[in-house]
Amino acid sequence: MAKNTYLPAPDHGAKTGVLAYLLTTAAVLLLMMVAGLLMRLEQAQMISIGANGFYQLMTVHGAGMVGIAGIAGAAIMWHFLNQYAALSVRVLVGNLALFVIGVAMVLGSVFVGNFHGAWTFLFPLPGNSLGLWSREAAAWFMGGMLVIGTGFLLLQLDIARAIIAGYGGFARALGWPQLFGRDDGQAPPPTVVASTMVTIVNLIALVVGASILAMMLVNLYHPEFAIDPLLAKAMIYFFGHVFINATIYMAVIAVYEILPRYTRRPWKSNKVFLASWTCSTLMVMFIFPHHLLMDFGFPKWMLVMGHVIGYLNTVPILAVTGYGALMIVFRSGIRWDMGSRLLFLSMFGWAAGAMPAFIDGTIRVNYVMHNTLWVPGHFHTYLLLGLVSMVFGFMYYLGKPARQARDPFIDRAAFWAYLVGSLGFVLAFLYAGKESVARRYAEHLPQWVPYDRVASYFAVLIIAATLVFVARFIGHLAHAGGHHTRATVPFGAVVA
Amino acid sequence: MKATRRRFLPLLSIALLGTATLWWGSDGFTAFTAEAARRQSVLAEPRPLPMVGLEDQDGRRFTLGDYAGRLLAIEFIYTQCNSICYSLGTTFRQLHDSVPTAALGRDLALLSISFDPQHDGPEQLREYGQRFGADGANWRIARPLAAAELPALLAAFGVVAIPDRLGGFEHNAAIHLVGRDNRLRQISDIDAAAPFVAAIREQL
Amino acid sequence: MKQPRRSGRHALGAGAAYLLLTLPPVRHWLEASMASHMLVQMPLLVALGMVAVRLLPAGRRRRLRNGFGGPLACLTAATFASAYWMLPRALDAAIGEPLAEFAKFVSLPLLVGLPLALAWESFGLIGRGFVWTNLISMQVFLGWLYVAAPLRVCNNYLVDDQLRVGWLLITLAGLLFAGWLGALFRGAPASRTEAPMYKTA
Repeated sequence: MAKNTYLPAPDHGAKTGVLAYLLTTAAVLLLMMVAGLLMRLEQAQMISIGANGFYQLMTVHGAGMVGIAGIAGAAIMWHFLNQYAALSVRVLVGNLALFVIGVAMVLGSVFVGNFHGAWTFLFPLPGNSLGLWSREAAAWFMGGMLVIGTGFLLLQLDIARAIIAGYGGFARALGWPQLFGRDDGQAPPPTVVASTMVTIVNLIALVVGASILAMMLVNLYHPEFAIDPLLAKAMIYFFGHVFINATIYMAVIAVYEILPRYTRRPWKSNKVFLASWTCSTLMVMFIFPHHLLMDFGFPKWMLVMGHVIGYLNTVPILAVTGYGALMIVFRSGIRWDMGSRLLFLSMFGWAAGAMPAFIDGTIRVNYVMHNTLWVPGHFHTYLLLGLVSMVFGFMYYLGKPARQARDPFIDRAAFWAYLVGSLGFVLAFLYAGKESVARRYAEHLPQWVPYDRVASYFAVLIIAATLVFVARFIGHLAHAGGHHTRATVPFGAVVA
Repeated sequence: MKATRRRFLPLLSIALLGTATLWWGSDGFTAFTAEAARRQSVLAEPRPLPMVGLEDQDGRRFTLGDYAGRLLAIEFIYTQCNSICYSLGTTFRQLHDSVPTAALGRDLALLSISFDPQHDGPEQLREYGQRFGADGANWRIARPLAAAELPALLAAFGVVAIPDRLGGFEHNAAIHLVGRDNRLRQISDIDAAAPFVAAIREQL
Repeated sequence: MKQPRRSGRHALGAGAAYLLLTLPPVRHWLEASMASHMLVQMPLLVALGMVAVRLLPAGRRRRLRNGFGGPLACLTAATFASAYWMLPRALDAAIGEPLAEFAKFVSLPLLVGLPLALAWESFGLIGRGFVWTNLISMQVFLGWLYVAAPLRVCNNYLVDDQLRVGWLLITLAGLLFAGWLGALFRGAPASRTEAPMYKTA
């Protein structure tokens, strides 16, 4: 029978800085969802904004969503890590300020300068617009990326500082003494392990990203300084892929921290857990070539590496975390509320989202699938159902007025609307991918339009649910800073 | 507030001073290499040239001063060169062929100067001239008479030739235009013969 | 009592090293190739400036740092001074013009090494990490510039030399990055005792 003996640490309210992150997240997320809906409506031929407008929206949607995933993930990581290691509020706020400046630069580049070369700023597209946008527009976009990257670099450096001060180095913070030696049960808590992994890979990604951006800025004005396109693509993908992967590794901290409070069972940093995070620290840096499998110009070893590690990386953290979540919840007598529901859903979303990537990571499949809507299907599953669910779960958790508080009907309805909307939306992508519908096309063939229409309806449902989530979070903002117990007590547990 | 100003002012002045230094050191962020700097410098301020004694492929002695009143196109070469000097020679040939024939000799002359006088005697110079179709009168191939005067000549032009470890030289190859007043007025890329000819035509 | 004598010996050593570098044969030898000029001679001159700072007593260091206008001003000075010597024409000038050579021998220790060391000791991990990460990406960037340049950037150096310097810079950046990350893994004890630049919440 279930044991519910674990008494979690007290609940800290969120600092104002964290709330500012979450409010920014809510605003940008909603706007970007609307941008996404407009793109789907354009493909569905229900509105007419033209190809140029479509690609502008696609650029903003991509850049905005990746950026805001970083901001949301950072908010979660910062909030919980701050309870183990003293972090700097100034750096936290500084990062947000730089983010806002960077976003303004990106928006100016896209809507004033008409830059629409997609968020990936893949070389040599930004510099070769064939007159569609100016060099300055491309420079503002890349400059905006540099500013945003600088903010995250500072944040990660502060986190590195705090982790080293508190745990004496990354090796200890990853629990290597316990992993490679005798497990004395003194390994750092999951939050610290995850934050360390994120910090390591993000520091590397940001340095690589800054290097390629500087190179591309010179190339923009002095094209005679040629960049090897394969090198540029590898560096850009390394940076972008690691960064977006890191966002979910930040956000999953919410699961590690919050679910145990609902079930009164600890999430332990045992050897398996530590091994999975150490493996992923390495592997997450070597899986990006699975997006380049069609680029036969790349050295073969790189593609094989992408294939093999892409397969392998699906296993460690995801399997360990998914299994851990199931074990924590199984027969725990957990009482579901919005927070715990969304967090549990996020585990499903992450797992389900990894599957299409797993399939697409097979070279043979990749040849036919990669340039179809299958790929957006993959990352929308794991970002929408995985990461965004974690973020909303965290928001609900923070905003919960008291342990006994009940969720209104409209919130519960919004949860199911979100679930159904997201499933329908991503399945429309995946099915269209199976039917070989090309991705990144503003205009679709008549036989593709039905999928686009279905997806648009589901997108409306997602936005409606998100509006409820966001409205509730704003309504409950006053509770988010309070130090009070939020998690319900499982059935059968004695209230302490 | 006061503390901030105390910190901020030096920071600002250092940044300004630093930017000014970089501006000065790169001619207003336009010339980052010595080569670009020398080209801009002669455009802004034509340079007087030393009257170094020269000897051509037929053993005739002369100085750059003998060309006063005429335009003079100069390239620096060494006859053993089998890489960049081929392009240089070809560019000079193009130059020779694309200026009005009537002006050649009267208004304009071409001169190839070797910076390897130890090896390049009149015989080698003649052979080089034949290779690229120099007529030996309007287009002469020459070397400094005294090896000791070579550094002064090269320094005046800003030409640097360094041994390339293969027995040859690497040098900043370019085509130089000397005005009627015997001053170095323009330096162009060896693959920019057309604009160079245009500049000559303007002055004919 | 032992401390001053030891630091006196170190000062002597640093002075001797500096003099050695200024000797014409050593100078010509190190300046004969771009790689040894940029990656040996110039870093050594910077390092000597940094060593000089370590030999000063703490009070003098503080006064000197305040004289510059604080750690950020120090860092800015070092950044601009080193940026100047990254101009290929400055490198060319240092070989051909005695005045430029003199300026190099004075400014690299005094305007790069010295302020950098002054700033360094008052930085916490954030400041140091920021310097490291920027240094590393700038090195990769500079290395790429040398590799990708369509022309010979220095009239005094062979184009092969330039390529080699480019790749060396990139390799060096990789090694420095690995070394820095390695230090973070071990958790250098120094970084724990250093006072952070800001007050923690």
